[in-house]
Amino acid sequence: MTTMTIAKAINEGLRATLNNNPRSLLMGEDIGALGGVYRVTDGLIAEFGADRVVDTPLAESGIIGTAIGLSLRGYQPVCEIQFDGFVFPGFNQITTQLAKMHSRSNGNLTVPVVIRIPYGGGIGSIEHHSESPEALFAHTAGLRIITPSNPHDAYWMIQQAVDCQDPVIVFEPKRRYWLKGEVDTETPGASADPFKAHVLREGTDATVVVYGPLVPVALAAAEAAAEDGHSVEVIDLRSISPIDFDTVTASVRKTGRLVVAHEAPTFGGIGGEIAARISERAFHSLEAPVIRVGGFHMPYPVAKVEEDYLPDIDRILEALDRALAY
Amino acid sequence: MGATHLPSTEFDGTGMDDQLEAEAEAQLGAPAEPMVQLLDPDGTLGSDPVFSKYAEKLDPDTLRGFYADMAKIRRFDVEATALQRQGQLALWVPLTGQEAAQIGSGRASQPQDYIFPTYREHGVALTRNVDLAELLRQFRGVSNGGWNPKDTNFHLYTLVLAAQTPHAVGYAMGIQRDQKLAAANAVASVEAGQAVEPNAAVMVYFGDGASSEGDVHESMVFAASYQAPVVFFCQNNHWAISVPSSVQTRIPLANRAKGYGFPGIRVDGNDVIAVHAVTEWALERAREGHGPVLIEAFTYRVGAHTTADDPTKYRESAEESLWRAKDPLARLEKYLRAQGLADDSFFEQVKADGDELAAYVRKTTHDLETPDIRTAFANTYVEAHPLVAEELAWFEEYSAGFADEASADEASAGEAHRVQTDRAAR
Amino acid sequence: MTLNKFNLPDVGEGLTEAEIVAWKVKAGDTVAVNDVLCEIETAKSLVELPSPFAGTVTELLVPEGVTVDVGTPIISVSDAVDAPAPAAAAPAPAPVAQEQAAGQEQASAAPMYGTLPADDSDAGEPAGRPAGGPLVGSGPKADAVKRRRRISAPAAAGHEAPSAATATGAAAPVVERAGVEAHDIWINPDAASSPADAATGPAGSVEARPTFGGAISGLVGKVLAKPPVRKIARDLGINLADVVPTGARGEVTREDLVSYQAQRDAEVDKADSFWGKSGRPQEQRIERIPVKGVRKATAKAMVESAFAAPHVSIFVDVDASRTMEFVKRLKASRDFEGIKVSPLLILAKAVIWAAARNPSVNATWVDNPDGSDSAEIHVKHFMNLGIAAATPRGLMVPNIKNAQDLSLKQLALALNELATTARAGKTQPAQMRGGTLTVTNIGALGIDTGTPIINPGEVAIVAFGTIKQKPWVLDGEVIPRWITTLGGSFDHRVVDGDLSARFMADVAAILEEPALLLD
Repeated sequence: MTTMTIAKAINEGLRATLNNNPRSLLMGEDIGALGGVYRVTDGLIAEFGADRVVDTPLAESGIIGTAIGLSLRGYQPVCEIQFDGFVFPGFNQITTQLAKMHSRSNGNLTVPVVIRIPYGGGIGSIEHHSESPEALFAHTAGLRIITPSNPHDAYWMIQQAVDCQDPVIVFEPKRRYWLKGEVDTETPGASADPFKAHVLREGTDATVVVYGPLVPVALAAAEAAAEDGHSVEVIDLRSISPIDFDTVTASVRKTGRLVVAHEAPTFGGIGGEIAARISERAFHSLEAPVIRVGGFHMPYPVAKVEEDYLPDIDRILEALDRALAY
Repeated sequence: MGATHLPSTEFDGTGMDDQLEAEAEAQLGAPAEPMVQLLDPDGTLGSDPVFSKYAEKLDPDTLRGFYADMAKIRRFDVEATALQRQGQLALWVPLTGQEAAQIGSGRASQPQDYIFPTYREHGVALTRNVDLAELLRQFRGVSNGGWNPKDTNFHLYTLVLAAQTPHAVGYAMGIQRDQKLAAANAVASVEAGQAVEPNAAVMVYFGDGASSEGDVHESMVFAASYQAPVVFFCQNNHWAISVPSSVQTRIPLANRAKGYGFPGIRVDGNDVIAVHAVTEWALERAREGHGPVLIEAFTYRVGAHTTADDPTKYRESAEESLWRAKDPLARLEKYLRAQGLADDSFFEQVKADGDELAAYVRKTTHDLETPDIRTAFANTYVEAHPLVAEELAWFEEYSAGFADEASADEASAGEAHRVQTDRAAR
Repeated sequence: MTLNKFNLPDVGEGLTEAEIVAWKVKAGDTVAVNDVLCEIETAKSLVELPSPFAGTVTELLVPEGVTVDVGTPIISVSDAVDAPAPAAAAPAPAPVAQEQAAGQEQASAAPMYGTLPADDSDAGEPAGRPAGGPLVGSGPKADAVKRRRRISAPAAAGHEAPSAATATGAAAPVVERAGVEAHDIWINPDAASSPADAATGPAGSVEARPTFGGAISGLVGKVLAKPPVRKIARDLGINLADVVPTGARGEVTREDLVSYQAQRDAEVDKADSFWGKSGRPQEQRIERIPVKGVRKATAKAMVESAFAAPHVSIFVDVDASRTMEFVKRLKASRDFEGIKVSPLLILAKAVIWAAARNPSVNATWVDNPDGSDSAEIHVKHFMNLGIAAATPRGLMVPNIKNAQDLSLKQLALALNELATTARAGKTQPAQMRGGTLTVTNIGALGIDTGTPIINPGEVAIVAFGTIKQKPWVLDGEVIPRWITTLGGSFDHRVVDGDLSARFMADVAAILEEPALLLD
């Protein structure tokens, strides 16, 4: 077991990937000499060379498109999109080509491309650097989407994404890049399946489902709720497409109350899908409606008011209070 | 080939001249800039200092083969159009007029090369030994990709314009890496008595309309930066549905390549010999590691954009007549006859072969099986997916719940379409 | 001779109708495949239609100048040919074709390749339809306006058929599990056999007190009810756990609340008026109820048992905390997914285990067997474990046959089954015969312990009371633990004090440490 930050864990995970998969390669802007704007790819070009750690031109559609071409030739490209807000020039290639190529070819072609995207806010940044666009991609069949919340998951999930034969988008919570945690680099243990949700904290009165950057916030909220005498179960969803509904359903059958929280706007967000599906599956167990916590329906606001926008411990507790009041 | 004149400032007034020239060019049908041509519309074989040597390598069988291919694909086109008019195909995308550009370039490629078409390259498909009947599956609405690219190295049609251009460059970057690895192991292979694999290149097709898409720009940037072994083959057929090429570009499209730092060359797209020569040169160059080339095949879309289009609404029939006079098949026929390389019996045989193909295509279209939505469930992901499985199970129950005969049909169709679940073996 | 009809196709991505502008053939003409039949005008353009058939035109079905819907037959062609096929020539005059070349591809300068020979497979198709499938280009499909008849209503209560078996395109294990979930959409596994019950103690805790209807307690964890029902219950001050659920998925329905409330009202009303007014005649203040049915049988059995067998009752307090822990873990385990698990399960296992070590408790006192003067004690080397159940019909004691052979999971399933059947009032006589030892779960009724009456034919009965958090001394410290008082009554003719004590101690030992079951 080693202590690592999430950024370092991804770095190590990429290193392991490049070592274990001779046909894997990294591509993105500034990932080579600079080592990535968050240093996530630090040192890799020196170790693996410019053919395997490729500094690309500044062209997201080109990055994704050439990655698709490389994968058709039998390679396993891991693309980096520098910031969430800049994935949109590549949206066409991701949704019309990457997601559909396997189906279009009646199963003959596979395009095992991995796209890493730092996402989320809370870093006091300028426009387009704090987005959470995961719902836009979740709505596109053919893609898989995962998001680690801790270093151990970060280390293993990137490797599992490369091993997966489907295209995978890995959303990395950028404000947690410096979060430290224990990583078992020998075995994934409970993190063997990247598409499973994890119950991080057991409880009986309410369930909180979160992913990515809000996981530590939810755990803090559960701790605070315990002081008020409420036992809150916290689930790290880990996979946004597919969603592990079984784990969430089992939890709600036990607790009867569900709160879903994400940084992305509530309207049209993943929370809605979870709320709808859980209300179908566990209707008779529900003591309260499913309450969602998310960003407001507005473009992500300026850094100075970011705090009022992002779900934090108080917003999650407010939702829990509402749920528990029923 | 290509303008050597560059504007001295961005306010250089020659932009207007170019526009006028481009318009005149479209009207007269003669390119303002020189283009490579070997066989003129009258069937006379001229010479070119660079490319004649490629033409000289073509033996009579090959030349006759060019004609036969062009005739075949034209006949196929006519038949497919008729099938659409008869309600057998939802849509057809005709290539009439572009036979030489496609056959000439396709025949210059080698089996190990990989081709990325758009959606009109039925002629190239023919040269890559794709069963033409498989092309029809897409237009009948039973498949989005009617053949397996791995069989012929001819990729599926990409309907989002220009989206295939970065795919092509990425594929070429993959080839580069493979060849580097092969070169490293070359000595060992030779000593072991293994044949060294021939180098490969990629050829990607797109039209004058698609050339405006951002993806074309980005792929050219990538291709130039990495000196990828890719040939960009632009069929300038002068029309993007109803928008003329003068709206897509103020200069000959081939000239753009210079801006990226690699050669661009315009060729008479209706001259199969010149197209073949130029493409052969470009592919060889790419295979040898000298980087990308942009070929602009100057041709004309004699027919409509698709069978849902009506060109009478936006272009003059006089223009069409002008281009019909430059027909790619007519000029080659004249040449073959004049040189004594083909006679009536050859052309009759070609006609008969075309009819046979047409009959085959007609029959195959009628026999195309209707797909089952169950395959769509199976093909969305490679690996097992819980939501897909859940929805499929629901669908099965739902379908089985109908009291009418359709449910019985669906159930048996479901049985007939069980798909191999284990794709790990692929 | 086949008569083929050509239906007007959709020639342009969703066109719905077209006008026949000009016919290029007439009745009696011979046509080959792809010969131009007519010109039509659509919303988009002027289009020539080539013939799908070879043969002789028999009839033009639509006159020139008329607009018809896509799908309308416009011409009929018989496959009999009256005249030899025309010489190979362009099917339409070239200049006309050029001017009206909308959508029709013709390289008129380049040679046309003549007409196809008549193809039998084409001619044999009726109405332009191919053998293989539906006609493409048949225009936008009209929306269905009538509903297709369904075979059955979707939600069969509690039906969890293995439709997962028919799912494809996914690896089997995922499919199985997902298949169950697929039914969640309209078959709610929120039935009594759903997993993940309350982690808090069931039988003992106040929240989960079931009613006489659901007396097989410990098996009912969280109450299931729709949100509106929960609200009504709250407004009326009804504890949902007290209400007998009759919903298809095991939930409490509105009607259940109504009957509960009515009964409560009735009881309250009755309670108010229960006491007969003094001053009224004595006979009018005595309610006479005839004894029959289950009441009669129960009374008879009680008398038999109570007065034939000298009852000795002993009690032991047990720290059942580890049992509670174990139950919680079982509930969370994949293996027990969908199976109700409660401390009663562990108690049942404990009784079986303890009986094996103290066999005399699993026996029968038989008077005058085979007509002789003496008596016999029949020790049973099998356990038909009876569970006393208060059912809608009264007190019943169905038993689980050969409970000694059942694994923990099988025993859990058997208990579930027994409870469901009993609750529904459907326990069969055969299920109540042949019991060898009984457990009475009075904890379900909120009672701590008691002196139960032995089931006739047996010699022992265990009373399983509430499991509550109580102060307990552990390693010299007073800490809250889950405590229960086990009660047992024994037939002193067969079971002496020491045996009964050992038996009870053994049962207690398991409750204290379930891991001993592994032995």
